[in-house]
Amino acid sequence: MGYNIIVLIKVIPDLEQIKPDQQGNVSTKNLPLRIETLSENSIEAAVQLREKYGGKVTGIIFGTQESVPIMKKAYAMGVDEGSVITGYQGNNPKYTAAVLSEKIKKIPHDVIVMGNQSADSYTGLLPGLVAGTLGYPLIGNAISIVPNDRKIKVKKFLESKNIEVESSLPAVISVAQEINEPRLPPVMQIMAAGRKQIPVEAANIQNSSSIKVLSNTAPKSERRKIVFEKIDEGVPAIVKVLREELR
Amino acid sequence: MKSFVLSDDQSLVPSIATFVHGLGEFDLYAPGPASPALIRCGASKVFTIKDPNMTDSIAELLASKMSSGEYQYGFIASTVNGRDVAGLLAYRANVGSVAEIGSLSLSGSTARTKRYFFGGKSILEEESSSRLFTVAPGIAEAKEIAAESPVEEASLSPSKITVLSSEEKKSGGVDIEKAQAIVSVGRGLGNKDKLSSIEPFANAINAVIAGSRPVCLDYHWLSEDRQVGLSGKKVRPKVYVALGISGQIQHIAGMRGSKIVIAINKDKSAPIFEECDYGIVGDMFEVLPKLVDQLKK
Repeated sequence: MGYNIIVLIKVIPDLEQIKPDQQGNVSTKNLPLRIETLSENSIEAAVQLREKYGGKVTGIIFGTQESVPIMKKAYAMGVDEGSVITGYQGNNPKYTAAVLSEKIKKIPHDVIVMGNQSADSYTGLLPGLVAGTLGYPLIGNAISIVPNDRKIKVKKFLESKNIEVESSLPAVISVAQEINEPRLPPVMQIMAAGRKQIPVEAANIQNSSSIKVLSNTAPKSERRKIVFEKIDEGVPAIVKVLREELR
Repeated sequence: MKSFVLSDDQSLVPSIATFVHGLGEFDLYAPGPASPALIRCGASKVFTIKDPNMTDSIAELLASKMSSGEYQYGFIASTVNGRDVAGLLAYRANVGSVAEIGSLSLSGSTARTKRYFFGGKSILEEESSSRLFTVAPGIAEAKEIAAESPVEEASLSPSKITVLSSEEKKSGGVDIEKAQAIVSVGRGLGNKDKLSSIEPFANAINAVIAGSRPVCLDYHWLSEDRQVGLSGKKVRPKVYVALGISGQIQHIAGMRGSKIVIAINKDKSAPIFEECDYGIVGDMFEVLPKLVDQLKK
């Protein structure tokens, strides 16, 4: 019994360390990689489902060879089996969905868990594309997941409401950050995960997309940046601005 | 050329509709009832949607209308349900899609788009033959159109998703997106009780109080509907005062449209000082009473 859960894990560069060059161009080359925040929540949600209802958690990363240590972290958090697919080509959700769906079809599954929107590209399109490709219902931005036999009850976190919905399985569920607090794995599990052999395979689908990047530059701040280090100098200046702007 | 606009939030309709109206004819899909925001937005027809959580049924309907050539382009307000529909629809209609666009120009079948990338650290300009877009708030200044559009209910197929219950979120009773002045607090506030020391200043400039993600979602010092940021509200007041907000890029993305930004922060190296017009390095609890005093004079 139990549920076969697939968790889709995204690896992203550490965005806090992005520094634009002289021309304002932005690149993530040579930046350290980390697990995307919502992917951590996704792993936690998947592992909690297994702990409560039994089953198996399989992690999939579509990334590069450098993603292998991230999968080890996923193992340490409780993923049972995982693989890395190489050939990730950046912001192209349609291609990413095609590659992931190909892999998902080869693994037994009831529930697919993933982040709602990733911190780097922020498209929010991947859950729908994966659900569409697999022909499954999609439940977006979940803050609780409760399976019951061949159905699943999910609470969705919307802008002005929380909605509880039910769907049949298999289903794709994207999670919100509010769903849980990802665990910090114990040292023993981290060490055990470090010894795991992570299967790596190359994506075998061609990318047919024709999105062309014209530029990727830091937004220019046109702010005046008049900063006072002495409070008594700053106060009158700011009072004057407030009076002018809010007349 | 005809497009559709889909928004499950009526308040996002006027801006997107104004933008799409500039491109040509369009139909609007939104949850009812048919308010002035919907019927005076310039749509050829308004289709009301029974339940915006039926994302699969909505995607199916719009996919069939894109595939049949009825709609060449689709514009979807970037909300949780909107993004879900967009992904499902992009697959079903087999069209390219670009997310969270802040600007678009079309020439022939080429779409040139701009959007924030790397969590707001950069602007990505792309060229593609995409026909489906999710739209970030504020793409155009909303204009009301005098003529009223005919309204009819969209005919949706049954959904695989059943809505069991719905619970309104606790609301602070204010709409920070409409405020002329916003006083926004960050973690630097310290604790919830200290909100009362912010109020005299907010009252003096007739501002509503908003907050950063930790303040609204993690500590619940303020209600969720007051969160400014990439994952919260995108605000564009005349004056935005950031108190004890470090200025993480996700926060900046929510207040970038503000006319004047004023920052008060103890930490001289806080990134917010790179994104403000005027700033004071200092303790907000020392600065605010002085501002209130002088404003009263």
